[in-house]
Amino acid sequence: MSLLSILGVLSSAIFSGTSLLYTTLGEVIGQRSGIVNLGLEGVLLVSASSGFAVTVITGNPFLGLLAAALIGGLTNMILGYLVIHRKANQLASGLALMFFGFGLSALIGKPYVGARINGLPRIPLPGTSGLPQLYTSLFSFDILIHLSIPTAILVWWILFRTRWGLGLRAVGENADTAFASGRDPRLIRYQALFLSGLLAGLGAAHLSIAYTMNWTEYMTAGRGFIAVALVIFSRWHPMRAIVGALVFSGAVAFQLLLQSSGVQVSPFLLDTIPYVLTILVLIAWGGNRRQSAPASLGCVYHGTE
Amino acid sequence: MSQTAKTFPRVSLSNPLVNNLIRYLLMILLALLLFGIILLVTGKDPIQSYRDIFSATLGSTYGFSEVLLAMIPMLLTALAVALPARVGLINVGGEGQVYIGAAFATWGALAFQNKPAWILLPLMTLLGMIGGALWAFVPGYLKSIGLVNETIATLLMNSIAPKIVGFLIFGFWHSPMDTVKTDNFVSAARLPTFFDTRVHLGFVFALVLLALFWFIMKYTRWGLEMRAIGGNAQAARRNGIPLKGYLVTVMCIGGAIAGLAGMAQVSGFYGVLLLNFSMGLGFMGFLICWLAGGDPIGIFLMSFVVAVITTGGNLLQLTQGLPYAVINILLALALFVVLASPRFFEGKKA
Amino acid sequence: MNKKLFYVLVLAALLLSACGQTTAVPTEPPVVATEPPATEVPTEVPTEAGQCLLIGALYGGPITDAGYNQAMHEAVMAIKDNIECVQIIEAENVPDEAGATSTMENMISQGAKMIIATAFNHQYPALELSNKYPDVIFEHAGGWEMGPNFANFFGAPPDGWYLMGVAAGKMTTSNRLGFVAAFPLGWTLTFINAFTRGAKSVNPDVETIVAYTFSWGDRAKEADTTNSLINQDVDVITMHVDSPSTIISTAESRGVYSIGFQSLAAQQFAPEYWISGTGYTLGGKLTWLTSTVLDGTWEPIFLRCGIADGCMAIAPFGPKVPQEVQDLVMQTEADIEAGKIVVFAGPIKDQDGNIKVAEGETLTDDLMGSVDWFVEGVIGSPK
Repeated sequence: MSLLSILGVLSSAIFSGTSLLYTTLGEVIGQRSGIVNLGLEGVLLVSASSGFAVTVITGNPFLGLLAAALIGGLTNMILGYLVIHRKANQLASGLALMFFGFGLSALIGKPYVGARINGLPRIPLPGTSGLPQLYTSLFSFDILIHLSIPTAILVWWILFRTRWGLGLRAVGENADTAFASGRDPRLIRYQALFLSGLLAGLGAAHLSIAYTMNWTEYMTAGRGFIAVALVIFSRWHPMRAIVGALVFSGAVAFQLLLQSSGVQVSPFLLDTIPYVLTILVLIAWGGNRRQSAPASLGCVYHGTE
Repeated sequence: MSQTAKTFPRVSLSNPLVNNLIRYLLMILLALLLFGIILLVTGKDPIQSYRDIFSATLGSTYGFSEVLLAMIPMLLTALAVALPARVGLINVGGEGQVYIGAAFATWGALAFQNKPAWILLPLMTLLGMIGGALWAFVPGYLKSIGLVNETIATLLMNSIAPKIVGFLIFGFWHSPMDTVKTDNFVSAARLPTFFDTRVHLGFVFALVLLALFWFIMKYTRWGLEMRAIGGNAQAARRNGIPLKGYLVTVMCIGGAIAGLAGMAQVSGFYGVLLLNFSMGLGFMGFLICWLAGGDPIGIFLMSFVVAVITTGGNLLQLTQGLPYAVINILLALALFVVLASPRFFEGKKA
Repeated sequence: MNKKLFYVLVLAALLLSACGQTTAVPTEPPVVATEPPATEVPTEVPTEAGQCLLIGALYGGPITDAGYNQAMHEAVMAIKDNIECVQIIEAENVPDEAGATSTMENMISQGAKMIIATAFNHQYPALELSNKYPDVIFEHAGGWEMGPNFANFFGAPPDGWYLMGVAAGKMTTSNRLGFVAAFPLGWTLTFINAFTRGAKSVNPDVETIVAYTFSWGDRAKEADTTNSLINQDVDVITMHVDSPSTIISTAESRGVYSIGFQSLAAQQFAPEYWISGTGYTLGGKLTWLTSTVLDGTWEPIFLRCGIADGCMAIAPFGPKVPQEVQDLVMQTEADIEAGKIVVFAGPIKDQDGNIKVAEGETLTDDLMGSVDWFVEGVIGSPK
């Protein structure tokens, strides 16, 4: 194994982990406000398809990015209406949203399957210009990758250092108490879901506009559920989400390296490791779960009738 | 029926059955209207589309049989959610349990393929149920000792199960000619079908289990105790009901039913074990169960409606040039409309 | 107890009849009827006069994928171009195995008398239906089963893969070629083997490194895999997945050569680092098969045809390929046609040095689908 291949695992992990990271950050915000979104897969698909479509039509990947983010936020508003306004069950509403996303993205994306786009431009890391092209291309990142860690820090700052974030976490812990202290749980949850959808939309845009430069039906292939697992893995914390996303995508990159080195280990079994790890982590800190998970996650806020 | 515990939002069916039917009908009409608008916007003919959907499902014997066929896994996976829900457990793991049940049944089908059907099929059924039960045991046990929330554990295990199926197919059950599946099952390993259609014995399994579920919940001590646990677990424990035992057992039985759905898919529907064959069956079951309020009759009706939509969508791509996946929009709209009607669903929302 | 069971059954029966009504009602819904009918949209139920044959075509993926499904779609459309009275109905993204049965049933109920199933995993459901509908002709792509009204057709890619290997062996400077494969299947291994033998025939030091995505169309995984190979110093990438577009775009963005497969349309994704590629061009043969259906002379024949028959084609070379490499590939092609080169002529050793094909023997076509070993020079696992 050469230096290139080891750096390559890192580079691959960054490239394919970015969409996971944005999606996970969004889901952290949503879950911190007390709403679990199992429809993430659908939100990603709708965003990825509409972002790709806008990129094809306008020829501008940044407009596509914008569209994907906005559509992601709007799609999440459906979930918001169901679970906040109509007090529907979160898990069922999320799954319904997933099926909605399967269908809507197929409809939006159909005319653009196989279209060729110019993806988000890549900007090399400063200081790598003297290296051979193979190495510079390893760390030639698009804008979304460059902004991923700042975004995680921003999310952390919003959640833990602003009044709004304090309110959001209070709603996630106990909506009734938050209401009693003068906050509007419904409004905060809508805002959290919109922000969550924006970030998921950025993650989806990275997948379709920057990384694969392609749209196909069901191209997310379960990444929405991976993000939900990642939120648990990172214990509802935006900074740990960075590590989580790198671990999950790095595992895939490492698996591919082993495969092409001729090592005889089932890639399927290697792919299960992150999930098994997450379950083990859960077991390890099972007793004091309440310290991390928002206490009213999944509960309906009934208001004060 | 009205005294049933409120652990699960449910439609009361004894008195306002007709009422509810009308309400559901109105909701489905609303969904059809919304989808019709989407079709119009994309330049398709909604009326012709609906004609196609209904002619492809209820307009012919074949279409109707396909609807029943599509209902089989839905009924079973919905039941796999409904039973644990009665003791307050949320089983989102149907998807994974379906895969493991299918894998166990496939092992039976491939390892004992020279046995006659009357040995092979019961064996595969049993294996499928054991597989699903084992996959549900882990989250059930972790929940019962208070370590990990079962919703989270079942979700995570959903992601693991299809990879294990992949490992088994490519590691052991695969020849280079087989692409992404096992060898075809021998005919003795196929569930018998009825009247020259594709509807197989799994339909009978599902109906019997639904009836059994209804009977046990309504008329037996187990049903009473489970309702007690679902109502207030700690109070039930103080009253001498073995809480841990119930939680684990009920979760395992739920898993076993989902495993049976997996067995029915590989043995009845496919006749092979195919990589990633489920594509959301377990999640569909979860939705159906929630929309039906965990009620056996509601599950039957909901599965029927969902099956009509998904089966009918097949013709749309031929006549309207719509991608097949687009039918999921109609499905989701119907689900949204029902979900947005909390008047029917009272009680704890988890 | 029995009484209660009886009650259950009666209730079930009642409900069954009730749901009949439930879903029958919306066929005449007052709500929908108020909408203006979309006049400009014709419903495409093909019943117009002058139609001589309705063909139903099934694809496992999207028909604009610049890959396998697009190649098959273009071949089916060639029938329509050549025989005007033929009508075609198509279904994309059709699920595997028994999931495809209802689509074919629907096509037949629409009046299709010929079914062209193009996905590998549609073979058995199509074969089963061919027994149920003896008056419908089933043509399946890439399989091996045969029946009185069921036959298989396909191109023969190994020769083309050998030629691509020759080009790759000449173009590489690192002597490492990368192959992104979907699954370890018999035919895929044969393609990899042919490619490697071609490359080694002009450059004995060359190695082919194989990695699987374990999906026909997970684009992100394809990008991951391509990057992983490039990071192991591979400087030519080729693939056997449904759509090569993501892999080729990724290679292009890293400044690495690519060789396409499946459809000639793949070239557009690599304006700079394209070497060449092979694709299926089965339109002519499908037209001929259809014409035999029309004049009643159709017979179930097992059809596999190569470059010389026009069933496979070599894509134009990219701008960076020197003339002498192009000439060498064309010369090799002529030698294969003339029988001077046989791709799988013995002796052939596997990765571990065991003799797989003895001297004087050749690997026959029917064994190529069940190959489970790699030739010398391939790095990767054949399972």
